[in-house]
Amino acid sequence: MALVETIGLTRLFGGLSAVDRLELRVGEGEIMGLIGPNGSGKTTVLNLITGFLKPTGGSVIYEGEEVTGARPDELARRGLVRTFQITTLFEDLSVRDNVLHGSHLTNPTSLVGALTRSRRYRRQCAEMEERARELLAFVGLEQRIDAVARDLSAGEHRYLEIAIALAANPKMLLLDEPATGLNPEEAAYLMDLIRTLRSNGVTVLLVEHNMRLITNICTRITVLNFGAKIAEGSPEEIVDNEDVVTAYLGKRRGA
Amino acid sequence: MRLRNSAGFWFGGPVLVVALGMPVFLFTNSYNRGLLVLIVIYAIGGLSLDYIMGEMGQFSFGHAAFWGFGAYVSAKLALDLGISPWIGFLAAPLAAGLVGLLIGYIALRRTRGLELAIVTLGFGVLAWTVALRWRPVTGGPSGLRQVPPPGILGWELRSELSYYYFALLVLLVIVFLLSRLRQSRFGRAVRSIHENEDLAKSIGVSATRYYVLAFSFACALVGFSGALYAHHFRFVNPNLLGLQYMFIFLIAVLVGGTGTLWGPVLGAALFVLVSEWLRALQEYRFVIFGVVLLLVVLFMPGGVFPALRKMARRVVAGDRKLRDVPGAIRQPGTGGSGVE
Repeated sequence: MALVETIGLTRLFGGLSAVDRLELRVGEGEIMGLIGPNGSGKTTVLNLITGFLKPTGGSVIYEGEEVTGARPDELARRGLVRTFQITTLFEDLSVRDNVLHGSHLTNPTSLVGALTRSRRYRRQCAEMEERARELLAFVGLEQRIDAVARDLSAGEHRYLEIAIALAANPKMLLLDEPATGLNPEEAAYLMDLIRTLRSNGVTVLLVEHNMRLITNICTRITVLNFGAKIAEGSPEEIVDNEDVVTAYLGKRRGA
Repeated sequence: MRLRNSAGFWFGGPVLVVALGMPVFLFTNSYNRGLLVLIVIYAIGGLSLDYIMGEMGQFSFGHAAFWGFGAYVSAKLALDLGISPWIGFLAAPLAAGLVGLLIGYIALRRTRGLELAIVTLGFGVLAWTVALRWRPVTGGPSGLRQVPPPGILGWELRSELSYYYFALLVLLVIVFLLSRLRQSRFGRAVRSIHENEDLAKSIGVSATRYYVLAFSFACALVGFSGALYAHHFRFVNPNLLGLQYMFIFLIAVLVGGTGTLWGPVLGAALFVLVSEWLRALQEYRFVIFGVVLLLVVLFMPGGVFPALRKMARRVVAGDRKLRDVPGAIRQPGTGGSGVE
């Protein structure tokens, strides 16, 4: 069953279609790659699915229910969580507080508990702290737990973003060019992380324009150009696809 | 960050000692004790404005309107219906909070930042005009007089001293609760929207809902402060809703320090004392305040309280001469004097 599906999804910006009647299906447990040259509409698709943009036409189905036009926070509550192309953190907070602030949906504490600092509240806080520690250990940031987020390296920024997203307990994670700005070693580590996420039952939609990077972790890849789907298939099929090569490199001379 | 959160309230220990001793040692006549009451009332107003400025990172130019509204509500209940001021102290924040909920709902669904400031300014002017013109209810330009003081067991809190200690107690409770509210789920949600609204939404925070609630909470708090004012000075008039008090709260927040918990309390005290000291200058005082505000914003951008706290920590740690270069303190978002 498809976890997320778009039907005829369309978004116009001043008469130009950024996304054009897109049909996309991401099955449960997949790592779906969404690739395409710069400006092909990948981020717009992600914004449309997660409610950051309203579609001009078409619909978004999540877990078999129509969620077109729902707010981002409503979708996050249902397990649809995204990251951003430009690194987006609570920059002035510590790494720990980033994850704790990201734990809004899993924070069980009550207002009265917080005001009175009841025994129960303190226990819940300790549990949240423990979970934050685990998440940070999972992305490899446990050594940096007390650092201020803005002091992290580019790679660490990305890992922290993923830890924040995971704090919301997603069923599906939509990552917008997470490898941008990373060196090959950091990028490889990130891809390993994503693979581990999948084995923990998280479905992933990975937006990327660097094709080489994702061909070895995606189960399927969809290629966009000018907002429309030009190819879909396994990584091997995509790499050999004539249209895809043309979209990326231009037409072969004399072809 | 953690230190700031958990130690925030207890940092006020010295403030408390000074505050309790004030009327005994320095402010011995009733006029001067009245100033102390004023400090506490402005401090609560400043704290509530700082909830909008420091915690939400927004600005409301209509804050004094909620202050005046709270004052009118409690005064009106006591004068017309003979309702006890103690109930008024609950009704005023409730009423101000409800109006805040409405205004916040209208304004915060669409606007943030400068636009919000303008929308709230519009509301403030509107509220002031209503207070001025709606004579049968508000008493027009002269307002309402002979507002009764609160009493306990037949004993009225008429004296400045008793009112001061009562108000001080409430102020401490408010600061204490504010320090804990920060770490609550609600406080964290508000803070996360302030830090990065898109990220907050993406992890499931209903940004507008929390901002409307936070705004309403700040309005309730300032409404309470207004009721305190009404039952102490025993009159209300349309000026209470006007820009003059808006600027007093603003001075308390900016001079004291945004987002510092105790800053607005210190700022309110500085304002009242300096204002009293410059009494002879009458309206020209505000010229001086303008200059002082400018200097503080330019040279102590975080406010007086953080500067003092930093000094105190240095003295305590005895590391006055450590390499720590003044100005090397990280100022988020402002390149400014960063030496690193």
